[in-house]
Amino acid sequence: MPGHPVSRLALAAGVIVLSVGCGKKEEPAVVPPPPAAVVAFRVTSVDLGKGITADKMVANSTDDFSPRDTVYVSVATEGSSPGAAVKAKWTFEDGQVVDETTQTVAPTGPARTEFHISKPSGWPVGKYKVEITVDGALAGSKEFEVKRA
Amino acid sequence: MAADRKPPDFSDVQSGSSSTAPRAPGSPARTYTVVAGDSLSKIAKRVYGDSQKWRVIYEANRNLIKNPDLIHPGQVFTLPEV
Repeated sequence: MPGHPVSRLALAAGVIVLSVGCGKKEEPAVVPPPPAAVVAFRVTSVDLGKGITADKMVANSTDDFSPRDTVYVSVATEGSSPGAAVKAKWTFEDGQVVDETTQTVAPTGPARTEFHISKPSGWPVGKYKVEITVDGALAGSKEFEVKRA
Repeated sequence: MAADRKPPDFSDVQSGSSSTAPRAPGSPARTYTVVAGDSLSKIAKRVYGDSQKWRVIYEANRNLIKNPDLIHPGQVFTLPEV
């Protein structure tokens, strides 16, 4: 249509502008990765048994023992610490202390710490308790019983 | 009578510990809290399986032990590796 040369020109220019606009690639938004979560050191489980595996998990999980058994407690933890004092305090019936041992560890992730006690002359029958503390704060406990074989 | 019953003797108890986590730098491998009836030789027997190793504990805790024949419940001794 010879009567509308300007309109054609404008249309052509618009197409060019549109083409150039569409040709511009959108830069993907750069989202910084979240900072690594710092997991506070804490006890996740306390397990008793008559044996221990190489990775410090209890074998033969039980809370009934015989006088000649070695008693193992496995303390599972998560989180990291430059130095956490994990203590096992073993007591008999009315609170008589049988043993207290502390292991100071510096974990960087999930870990297991085991404690064990034995008595060559045989455990007196009765009820016992092991309390686990971390830096002095109670983190878990288990009760068990020694019965006549 | 139950009231006359003597408390059981746990002086021959043997104990130990280990961990999958590394030991904290500068910390002892483990510590032991003295309980009633303990002596250094009993502790050595308990933790090392050899009462003759009492001197290892004594030497590592000279700042706490004035007299090796006199230790007190509640004292916390470091236990070196042997």
